[in-house]
Amino acid sequence: MKRIRLHRLSSQLLSTTPARSPPSSTRICRAAQISRLQAPLCCQRRWQTTSSEAVLEDPDNMEEIPILPPEEDRITPLPSPPPERALYSAKLAALHARLSLSSKIPLQTLARTLIDPSADADPRFNNANLAFVGASILQYHTSEFLITRYPRLPMAILFSAMKGYSGVPALHQIARAWGVEAAAAPGEEVDPGLLQFSQDKPTVMMSKWGYVRAESKEIQKYKWRRGLSSAVVYDNAFGEMVSEQRQQKTEEREGTPPEVSAARNTKDLVVDNPVGNAHANFVRAVVGAIYLHCGRDAAKTFVKSHVLSRTLDLSNMFEFKTPARELVRLCGREDFDPPVARLLSETGRLSRTPVFVVGIYSGRDLLGEGAASSLNDARVAAAINALKAWYLYSPVDTAVPSDTFMEDAAPYKPAYVDIGEIIS
Amino acid sequence: METRPLLQPLLRSISAPTSTPTSTRAAAAVTVACIPRRHQSSTSRTKRALKVAPHPSFFPTSAGSESSSTQVIYNPPSSAPSVYHTPFKFLPPSDPRRKANLAQLLRSSADLASSSASKSSSLPPELKDRERKYNVTQEQVEEMRMLRASDPERWSVLRLAEKYGCAPYFILMCCRAPTDHRDRERARLEAVKARWGAIRSAAREERKKRRDLLHKGML
Repeated sequence: MKRIRLHRLSSQLLSTTPARSPPSSTRICRAAQISRLQAPLCCQRRWQTTSSEAVLEDPDNMEEIPILPPEEDRITPLPSPPPERALYSAKLAALHARLSLSSKIPLQTLARTLIDPSADADPRFNNANLAFVGASILQYHTSEFLITRYPRLPMAILFSAMKGYSGVPALHQIARAWGVEAAAAPGEEVDPGLLQFSQDKPTVMMSKWGYVRAESKEIQKYKWRRGLSSAVVYDNAFGEMVSEQRQQKTEEREGTPPEVSAARNTKDLVVDNPVGNAHANFVRAVVGAIYLHCGRDAAKTFVKSHVLSRTLDLSNMFEFKTPARELVRLCGREDFDPPVARLLSETGRLSRTPVFVVGIYSGRDLLGEGAASSLNDARVAAAINALKAWYLYSPVDTAVPSDTFMEDAAPYKPAYVDIGEIIS
Repeated sequence: METRPLLQPLLRSISAPTSTPTSTRAAAAVTVACIPRRHQSSTSRTKRALKVAPHPSFFPTSAGSESSSTQVIYNPPSSAPSVYHTPFKFLPPSDPRRKANLAQLLRSSADLASSSASKSSSLPPELKDRERKYNVTQEQVEEMRMLRASDPERWSVLRLAEKYGCAPYFILMCCRAPTDHRDRERARLEAVKARWGAIRSAAREERKKRRDLLHKGML
């Protein structure tokens, strides 16, 4: 009983504070002012001293009692907790410490990164803008990391690897690993250290580069084939097609939308993975907040230590259709001797479980070897291994272009990037 | 213990004639082979047989105590090579590893100079690939197409391959049968597949799965 009453108390009090400021100032700016921060505390103290006996007498009709002055009767609760309460949340402080964030990043900003657009549609209070900045930084660092580290990756693998490092599933995992929990439902009275989103409200999807194709509806409806080179031009950073409705929402968000209008977003009201999308937006928003408060280098270090340090096995992403033919094409293109399969070793040829080890040679050089239980399979496995060894080449010096942003950095030496994948 | 080696030949000589009264020489040999012989009959013998000395690479090379204490033993188990290890030939010209590996560099330049005949001396045996013949001319291809289009029943793929002395795959690359013939053939194949029992269909399915796994490099 006592606990419930306290919750009611705080929610009623805080709703009477001027929640939505004029659009000139953002919530972060207001939170920085100390006098405003003191206001709710004073209110609370006074309230407790003056009208505590009323609560003790009859806690059930507490809502009917006009505790506060009648001109502030905007009792409609805020969609998300006000930033002033961020200073009193143990969860937020713990998260700030756990991520070893700089003290330049205020707790109010960290609280704002936890508010998804589906919880609070007002772009001055949700994390959409921070997440937009963070997504661009994340994808920039991921792509430069991948291209300088593996300059020969085929485009399809590169898209998958981008998704594996900075896509929604990976960022969801990162947010889970940071110990961020989702609130049962967003609301004003919720602890600001919980991730606030709602499953059935329109939200914003962050991966928004690329163009809408003229034939995007037909592609969705009839499953038209779309080539990989058009995916490079048109699609987003993960090779996923940008559809019409998403683009509308982009325009809406990049303009000055007061609210996410329901009429426009009924089409894709719910994104396909609202939980993952909210968690991913939170991680992106943290990166964006670090960029805004601590600068470019701190954001790069953060991305490197939390996102790019994760292990992604690129060698298991490949799937070849005609590996032997592709290897012949590769050797022809690079002016190597044509590949020849040679039997390196074998055992149990006449038994039920034979093992053959076949190596693919070009001239005298062993390109790859594979073992299987039949000669043909071993040859295919060896060709696949040779192709993987080609594609997964990694140079010694993996300096990325953003290294030159630092002070007293050496002038950038152009990285080796291969001419492209083998087309058989 | 002592009596067993003496008894065994005796037992053998007794059992051979009793089990084979016809007493042909071959039959006697078979029965002798059928008599179970105990090879490693006790734990201690098995243990003694399996006691193999460690590989010499595990022992320090020199007897000096101060050198053995600083020695690093590197003896990894045999395993499939990593695909992250780029072969020398795949290194781009700008890579510093190419210049560092002088032995490879000199060897591959010597390879370029030498003829292909001297190459295959020390290499492992080549796997036999199917014979590639390039014997079909342009006119023959035209004729082949004409024959296939005129009477696909008579001029089947195998028949055409036999006629022109090429692989059936090459015929499939060149010609395309009329649509009705293709439909007929497909229907015939479907009828054959429909007669397959559970075991054969499952085996085909599994073969397909194995091929997919192989192409993903997971087999």
